[in-house]
Amino acid sequence: MTRLQVLGAGAFGLAALAAFVGTPVPARPGEIDVNQLAGMIAREEDHVTAIDLAGWIKDRKPGLRVIDVRPVEAFDDFHLPTAESVPLPSISHAAFKTTDTLVLYSDGGAHAAQGWVLLRSLGYRHVYFLRGGLGEWLDDVMNPVIPATAAPDAKEVFKRTVELSLYFGGRPTVGDRPAATPTSQRIEAMKRRGC
Amino acid sequence: MSGLVLATMIGVAFGWTLERAGLGSARKLVGQFYLRDLTVFKVMFSAIVTAMLGAFWLSRLGIIDLGQIYLPETFIGPQLAGGLVFGIGFVVAGLCPGTSCVAAATGRVDGVATVFGMFMGVLATGLFLPRFAAFYASTPRGAFTLPEAFHLPYGTVVLLIALVALGGFTLAERIEGRR
Repeated sequence: MTRLQVLGAGAFGLAALAAFVGTPVPARPGEIDVNQLAGMIAREEDHVTAIDLAGWIKDRKPGLRVIDVRPVEAFDDFHLPTAESVPLPSISHAAFKTTDTLVLYSDGGAHAAQGWVLLRSLGYRHVYFLRGGLGEWLDDVMNPVIPATAAPDAKEVFKRTVELSLYFGGRPTVGDRPAATPTSQRIEAMKRRGC
Repeated sequence: MSGLVLATMIGVAFGWTLERAGLGSARKLVGQFYLRDLTVFKVMFSAIVTAMLGAFWLSRLGIIDLGQIYLPETFIGPQLAGGLVFGIGFVVAGLCPGTSCVAAATGRVDGVATVFGMFMGVLATGLFLPRFAAFYASTPRGAFTLPEAFHLPYGTVVLLIALVALGGFTLAERIEGRR
């Protein structure tokens, strides 16, 4: 084999390997492991329900930090018990401990879910978001409803919800769910209730 | 300052390599247009493949940051026109910008004349730029790369270019061998 052939074979080998490697950018620690996160999302390990969160707050789960990613004005207007305001644009500067359990919430679920991706990319392991946002909290914790015709099993489960709801000053109801109203109106209605 | 020192060192190495490859000679360069001598093609494509594999793997191993490398922007119309002018100049002079500097440095008169002409061209372009400023900035595509153009993974493009180069080298050797 001549020297030229060796060089050519070497170039071909490196190029063929490049095709398998795909991208010239290595995955560095603290960056997103896309496959891992995609798996977590598919297995629904990325979010918590409002009832779960209410339980964590009530039980004073160690290291729990409830993060409101909405603008400060919205936070000042209304926020979840024990929540702290970290608007999305400043999320990379926030000083969280890696051992903290971070639960993000926003009005809907989208901004909190995006914040989840950002915090995961910064290397925080215990991050969740409130799937349905404030709306879910208002529906399931502050105004939980169970149909009068519900099965006995469901009523048994509802007992825990009622307990949590009353703890946070909610109004559990048996009967029909009232017609849907925008989150902002429901927040106003609740503030008039004095909570 | 260290950037200028580094640029000087790279420039000296580049010129030395071009001269060693025999590219200071206009006869050798023009030879490729008559398919007599494809040294230019082989040298340039070897350099492209070496730089491409080097950049890919150094980045992959975390030694360099590809994001820090300047990507010249693509302007399809102006660059087509510029390429044609460049090609005509290349055949007529028998030298391109880098090789004209090498030819001038080795004392070839045609090299000195080409370098002089090149600077006159740069001066004229600067003076008359406002007249064709609209064309100069037309059909912009930004920093446009082959993986984007072909919607292929970066590594696949690396392999394809290497295969084209290796195939091209084999073909070039055959063409030269026949003459």
